Amino acid sequence: MRPEFYKVLASPVLWGILILAAPLPFLLPSYYLHIVILSLVYVALASSWNIVGGMAGQISLAHSLFIGTGAMLSTALLLKLGINMWVGLLISAAISAMLAAMIAWIDYRFRLGHLSFVLITLAFAEMGGLVVEGWDFLGGASGLLLPRDTGHFLDFQFGGSHGAFWVMLLLAVVCVLVNVAILNAPLGYYLRTIRDNENAARAIGVNVLRYKVAAMVISAVLASIVGTAYVRYLTFADPYLLISPVITIEIVLFATVGGLGSAFGPALGALLLVPLGEILRGQLGGVLPGLHYFIYGIVVIAVILITPQGLLPLFERLWKRRPGAAATRPPTVAP
Amino acid sequence: MSITRRSFGIGTAGLTLGAVAAPWIRTANAAAPIKIGVINSMSGGLAAYAQEGQPAFEYIIKKINAEGGIKSKGGAKIELIQADDTSQPARTATEARRLITEEKVNLLTGTILSAQMLALTPVLDELKMPTLSVWAGGSHSNYMFTLGYPYDRGYAQTMHDFVVFLRDAEKFNIKTAVMGYSNYEAGQQVNKFLVEKLKASGVSVIGEAPLDIRAQDQTSAMIRIRSLKPDVVVGLVTPRDGILLHQARYNLNYHGSIFCGGTGGYSDLSLWKDLGPEIGKAVLTKNLFGMTGFSPGAKIDSMQKVITELRDVAKLTRIGQGAIQYAQAGRVLQQVLETSASLESDALLDAFKKVHIPFGDPNLYVAKPKGLQFADDRLLKDGSAMFIQWTPDQQQQVIFPKEFAQTTPRPRV
Repeated sequence: MRPEFYKVLASPVLWGILILAAPLPFLLPSYYLHIVILSLVYVALASSWNIVGGMAGQISLAHSLFIGTGAMLSTALLLKLGINMWVGLLISAAISAMLAAMIAWIDYRFRLGHLSFVLITLAFAEMGGLVVEGWDFLGGASGLLLPRDTGHFLDFQFGGSHGAFWVMLLLAVVCVLVNVAILNAPLGYYLRTIRDNENAARAIGVNVLRYKVAAMVISAVLASIVGTAYVRYLTFADPYLLISPVITIEIVLFATVGGLGSAFGPALGALLLVPLGEILRGQLGGVLPGLHYFIYGIVVIAVILITPQGLLPLFERLWKRRPGAAATRPPTVAP
Repeated sequence: MSITRRSFGIGTAGLTLGAVAAPWIRTANAAAPIKIGVINSMSGGLAAYAQEGQPAFEYIIKKINAEGGIKSKGGAKIELIQADDTSQPARTATEARRLITEEKVNLLTGTILSAQMLALTPVLDELKMPTLSVWAGGSHSNYMFTLGYPYDRGYAQTMHDFVVFLRDAEKFNIKTAVMGYSNYEAGQQVNKFLVEKLKASGVSVIGEAPLDIRAQDQTSAMIRIRSLKPDVVVGLVTPRDGILLHQARYNLNYHGSIFCGGTGGYSDLSLWKDLGPEIGKAVLTKNLFGMTGFSPGAKIDSMQKVITELRDVAKLTRIGQGAIQYAQAGRVLQQVLETSASLESDALLDAFKKVHIPFGDPNLYVAKPKGLQFADDRLLKDGSAMFIQWTPDQQQQVIFPKEFAQTTPRPRV
């Protein structure tokens, strides 16, 4: 691990943000707290996806499969077999890891190109959706309703919105820190090498299969854990939300707009776009249905046109141009 | 003039900020109306429900306001605050939270289908908000009442009763059934109850033909039905699946079974438009009966009156089951607000429990022979619906139950 990781870990900015964020549940009204929680969910998901999509350059659309496994399977295990949701979380994460390893192996074994990889992962996601919708154990198309969250920590209950906020904050921070750690570890270098030129990486002795599997598994396990926590917050395990490719597309969008491949870019994208989408829909959805989609779309197009590398590099450029700034490179951006 | 990245960015920022800031620069309303939050799917895959129902609902509310508002509350007017959940249940919950905590509504209503009802449940329990769903087939929150047909004693019971009616009263030869239903949450739930009921009544269920709701063609399902050749094919079918199923039946020229089911896939007024008159005449008028909560031909004076009013006064062009259901929701909310001791949550809940619009009341628009009341499970006590048959001139004839029937079922071809 490079010292940059420890620098980020000990950064007063990180701890300052956490200290400032911690009391938000007591300060924010219910609706805005919900938007913040939702933003944190997507920060965690976009960051977990970034390990595969951003660092390894593999645009995976299979992440709904991992999120859905974390959400639907842990819920079904609790409701149908009485298995504690903490245990369900571990089982779901293990199954997600196996599925991820299998997908990575298929990618390696058949030397899939970028487009083929996208389509294969989409097919896996669709298959996952069909399995859930057709299998009563996982709730079928009706989904599953969890018991009310009464705050029993040992039963994977966190006491509603307040507890959910802290859990999501923790998960979001962990996912971002995993990104920072990977970027500053040998794995990060290998993944970027594979992303930039897989054949060249293989030629210089990088074990492509091992690192692809590692990236996919880490990413899937994180997504699965976030899925379990998210469904506990929602209470209703909705297959059309949690195991739909749409959720993956949203994650890809946030990561792309924020800045692919960097540690903080996907988080930035989610923190900006989730509240924007929610507030636009809240204010305009009932007045002029569809207008919020239009404005949201315009914003995304504008960002992509103005700063194709994402918002983070733009902010970094602006930060460097501030009066009296020294010309130093921020440590967390992917080289 | 060329558009630069900078000017495009500035323009977009202005548009976005304007949209976000709009509510804070809105002028405040001087009056203190009763606020009702309306969560509808105004966009997305479920938008058809609200697009048909919302204008009828608004018309009824405007009429209530014009006639003096809620008299027991000093003539307070009803103000509707709209929200769009984009057909996504998780967003129904988000919008409910916003309407309750930010807009301070007194009640919630809206399409709220079953999945949205489930997503809404924890929010309603947490914020204790009385809510009237127009379409949910169940209720898991003590604060949620629904006008939707219960899966069990609504959809499944009515379909079962009709099949038994055909067999026993009309002497149709019905011994075997194939379950042909849209494979989504409501379709699966209804199917579960219906299979049990049919078996209990001596109808042998010889197979299932679930309709993939994402399929572009239902020929494979129809081939399966043809191979099983049951006496009756029965189940809950969405309008889209219904169109594809009837299209496949036409293509295969299959008339070996009686098709009966609900609701939109068999009895929606738009079926003829989507299928075209030739296909419509070939399949909809032969061996097919549709379940519906509304039919223009039903012998119900209050329903006929509101249809005329919506068509002639409100100038609505699309008056189907959705419009009537929403109009009914307006009248239920009026009664709740009139009879409630206050606008507090508990008082409103009590008022919901006491709702009673008897058969014959001019404000009863839906076909309920036993009137409209909520049972202890907060679903309609009388969840029954009607069955219709189509005529070649694209009209409906009510054939079941006998209270509303215009004629008897057409014999099997």
